[in-house]
Amino acid sequence: MTNHWIDLRNADVILVMGSNPAENHPISMKWILKAKERGAKLIVVDPRFTRTASKADLYAPLRSGTDIAFLGGMIKYILDNNLYFREYVAKYTNASFLVNPDFKGPGELDGLFSGYDAKTRKYDKKAWSFQMDENGIPKKDPTLKDKNCVFQLLKKHYSRYTLDKVSSITGTPKDKLIEVYKLYASTGKPNRVGTECYAMGWTQHTVGTQNIRAMAIIQLLLGNIGMPGGGINAMRGESNVQGSTDYGLLFHILPGYLPTPTASLANLKGYIEKHTPTTKDPKSVNWWGNRGKYITSYLKAIYGPHATKENDFGYAWLPKLDEGMNASWLMLFDQMLKGKFEGFFAWGQNPACSGANANKTRKALSKLKWMVNVNLFDNETASFWRGPGMNPKEVQTEVFMLPCCSSVEKEGSISNSGRWAQWRYKAIEPIGQSKPDAEIINELYYRVKRLYQEKGGTYPAPIVNLTWNYGHKGPDGKIKEVNVHEIAKEINGYYLDDVYDKKANPPALLGKKGELCATFVHLQDDGTTSSGNWIYCQSYTQKDGKITNMMARRKKTDPTGLGLYPEWAWSWPVNRRIIYNRASVDPEGRPWDPNRPLLSWNPAKLDPKTNKPGVWEGDVPDGPAPPYNNEKGKYPFIMRADGMGALFGPGLNDGPFPEHYEALECPLQENIMSKQRINPAVKMFFAEGGKNLEDVYLSCDIRFPYVGTTYRVSEHWQTGVMTRHVPWLLEAMPQQFVEMSEELAREKGIKSGDKVTVKSARGEVWAIAVVTKRFKPFKVAGSTVHQVGLPWHFGWQFPEDGSGGDSSNLLTPTIGDANTMIPESKAFMVNIEKAKA
Amino acid sequence: MATIAQPKGVLVDLTKCIGCRSCQIACKSWNGRSVKKTVQNGTFTNPVDMNSEAYTVVKFVETEKDNMISSWDFIKTQCMHCKDPACVSACPVGAFEKKPNGPVNYISERCIGCRYCMMACPFNVPKYEWEKISPIVQKCTFCSDRQEEGLPPACVKACAPKALYFGNYDDVVAEAERRIKENPGKYVDHIYGKDEAGGTSWMYISGVPFEQLGFKTNIPNVALPTLSWAMLKTIPMKVGGLITILAAIAYIRNRGNSGGGSASSKNEKEG
Repeated sequence: MTNHWIDLRNADVILVMGSNPAENHPISMKWILKAKERGAKLIVVDPRFTRTASKADLYAPLRSGTDIAFLGGMIKYILDNNLYFREYVAKYTNASFLVNPDFKGPGELDGLFSGYDAKTRKYDKKAWSFQMDENGIPKKDPTLKDKNCVFQLLKKHYSRYTLDKVSSITGTPKDKLIEVYKLYASTGKPNRVGTECYAMGWTQHTVGTQNIRAMAIIQLLLGNIGMPGGGINAMRGESNVQGSTDYGLLFHILPGYLPTPTASLANLKGYIEKHTPTTKDPKSVNWWGNRGKYITSYLKAIYGPHATKENDFGYAWLPKLDEGMNASWLMLFDQMLKGKFEGFFAWGQNPACSGANANKTRKALSKLKWMVNVNLFDNETASFWRGPGMNPKEVQTEVFMLPCCSSVEKEGSISNSGRWAQWRYKAIEPIGQSKPDAEIINELYYRVKRLYQEKGGTYPAPIVNLTWNYGHKGPDGKIKEVNVHEIAKEINGYYLDDVYDKKANPPALLGKKGELCATFVHLQDDGTTSSGNWIYCQSYTQKDGKITNMMARRKKTDPTGLGLYPEWAWSWPVNRRIIYNRASVDPEGRPWDPNRPLLSWNPAKLDPKTNKPGVWEGDVPDGPAPPYNNEKGKYPFIMRADGMGALFGPGLNDGPFPEHYEALECPLQENIMSKQRINPAVKMFFAEGGKNLEDVYLSCDIRFPYVGTTYRVSEHWQTGVMTRHVPWLLEAMPQQFVEMSEELAREKGIKSGDKVTVKSARGEVWAIAVVTKRFKPFKVAGSTVHQVGLPWHFGWQFPEDGSGGDSSNLLTPTIGDANTMIPESKAFMVNIEKAKA
Repeated sequence: MATIAQPKGVLVDLTKCIGCRSCQIACKSWNGRSVKKTVQNGTFTNPVDMNSEAYTVVKFVETEKDNMISSWDFIKTQCMHCKDPACVSACPVGAFEKKPNGPVNYISERCIGCRYCMMACPFNVPKYEWEKISPIVQKCTFCSDRQEEGLPPACVKACAPKALYFGNYDDVVAEAERRIKENPGKYVDHIYGKDEAGGTSWMYISGVPFEQLGFKTNIPNVALPTLSWAMLKTIPMKVGGLITILAAIAYIRNRGNSGGGSASSKNEKEG
């Protein structure tokens, strides 16, 4: 989230699209309802009328997979009716930047952007660039009239998203589109703010990243980024998924969003050069310019004294990706199926149910020599070898079960969607032989290390050189019990030497050797500081000898009255509660909305640090520099090299502007917008020649006429491994079900409560029909299109009598987003039949 | 710490309920209730009604207008804890008692299993443990045990969107009136339970007319014991003999149970 949960209460309009907070993030509804008490309006856009929709002031249905068309229409509406926030757009976004005149968009190239290569399905992004002046700064037209400026290109691109076309694609009635556009666009005024809540309903598409980009464009046009009650808010699907992303769970990033090194970057210098953006604009902060300090401090944290200047701080020991290699979820299981892996740790997950195209995933598991399942319970993954369609005699995979304990049986931090790291304590002792994950990892570490030491092996350095100061070591040199506070401190980082601010004259002492680092501003690239994750630097601090776990703070003070609660837990970065908050003030540093002052520049007050006049008051500002118009002022979007919010986003793989493409499987023969039916930049798994049969897809095929989607319900969580074992929850939601409209049910002779079979090109599940008025057929391209939806909480392994059913991911396709490779689980095609008695 | 008994009440604001059913689960957890195996019945309501293991059940009701869904409401059902409860007066052996702070409590040791309470209750609340050898009647206790410790009922505590408002009865009525008055057009102008059956501890306000949501709207606005006594008087005297026999059976049965005690499920959890 750019903002945080409580901040939802500050919004004037809340757009819930691509998420379902009442069912999947119920606590957030407390704040959404508080906003409504203030008079805020709640808009819900969803294929079906959800529990969130039940609280909406305005509900609009749309066909799964058509969000960009819907939002593109909104961009057009905002521009056509001059409802954008003119000064914000002109000064805080790249609207005025002049784009390379060679750049062409889908309007000119029938669905493609300049530079497409059909063979590689990739773009050469040369033309997606800005014109530079003689100083190397992007050329601008502050009047926004130049035909090559971003603003005019944006207008041109979305002029194609007419109400007729949008309605025809999305199936949303035109009057509903206008109602939503009008209400949401009302937040383009300084004193009105709109926020957006999204989740997997936006990400799990072949255009997932661009769904969010489209909304980012809207939020920038309306001046809603950086504002209290604004922003774009990812409602993370697991309680600590924000934390796991922050700590480098994904293949392409190390902790703190540092890119994973690739094989061609042979040394640290090369890595830093490649991944450190530069700017020649003195008004741009370009925070990623500090990359070198963060990667060096990271290496010092993990390799400690073994990391020296002479050995490149151990950079060579970091695992490298091959150039262009993608190691995302879909690829892992694709490679596993091809026999490329011997072993697999399924740690706190249940891929046999959670992964798209579950039949493929289950088959892939059978190609392993061994698998370790670390979980609270046995599940469909651990027991895959005795699952439906498997012959245990033929499966050679040896499966080990390591029971781990639950979150209430261990101490540690958890990072919520709003970037708050909150400390929590152990409530009860772990049950039976179960252990906290950290203890399991500790045990593994010592055993693997001993094997390297005793038996040798290829390249032991990355393991044997690791620091491992996570608790008291026994006489055998082994840590008996992991102290999570020591881990938290290593993440925060230390001064490894006396560190001075060399810019000051005389150099001022920033921190003493051995003390915890106060802030990432102090991190160095010469090996004198360590930090396991730079964005968490300041989460565990030391002042005048006193050590404070900032994440354990529990003070309920609210000086701004906006619900920032700056002394409750700790938020990255540097306890900033709303990021890009410099965009909440005008160029003079005055809040755009004086009634909602998040930040304001007090030019008279003395800065206690510098003793000079001029300080920011309110939230922790995005950098201490004075406001935009000041001689030393800075642009608000400090994480971007040019300091501007990106209406034109040349960094993505599939285009600088979001463009509507259909899902891999859709009910239409052709895309109404262009000749490109699907996202031209996605990786295709299914070879047309009929190879890779498990990846088969069938679009616009009479055998699979209905749009299918998957979702979660309040009563269960993820694949249901934790919730299916709770009898009370299973009683409330006992079985796999499929929701459908009364119209479709009538057509198919299905009644509520009937057992039906739902099939896709890849698999089938049985489900109980829930016939409801909450699903309605869509009018798409002049025809009636039905949609159905299933939760993905169920699995064959539990309840043991099989009464729950199996995962709806048996239906979903092998295809991912063009940028992230998140599987497209939210839009695919199915058929539905009454099950034979 | 026990507080001075003031009648308590709960306001269910249906415009705030998100149907997450935390109340339904929290009730089970606090009161140590088990489950009765369910199947997906074609709706989200499950179990389909209150039963001896489910003191509170949320019912999902779809309303349509012009062939389109116009609202989806989630109605938490539980004992209404009448001010002057029909079950108390109908029970021939005093197995129900109305506490001064609101709860209508059930004393299983006294129950003879006649199930008059079930017939008397205008809201169909008390449920019988049909499947047990020594059945007793079960229903919501208004978390009387929690209230004695100064805690709100478990369901109220679990309600994230604050759809349940717990407080002194008079304050709860005032809050309901305030919400209706200050939000013209948002609510129908009626507090369900304020007058029904002579007034109940649990009350509802709604944006949709109550009769559309399945509420019983034909319940007289007078305390029902007066009516039920009028009815019971017509039962011939020989029933008195029956009651004696039933009481004897109950005594024997309860003697057999003493020591086991699991069926009576008194709340032994700590707060």
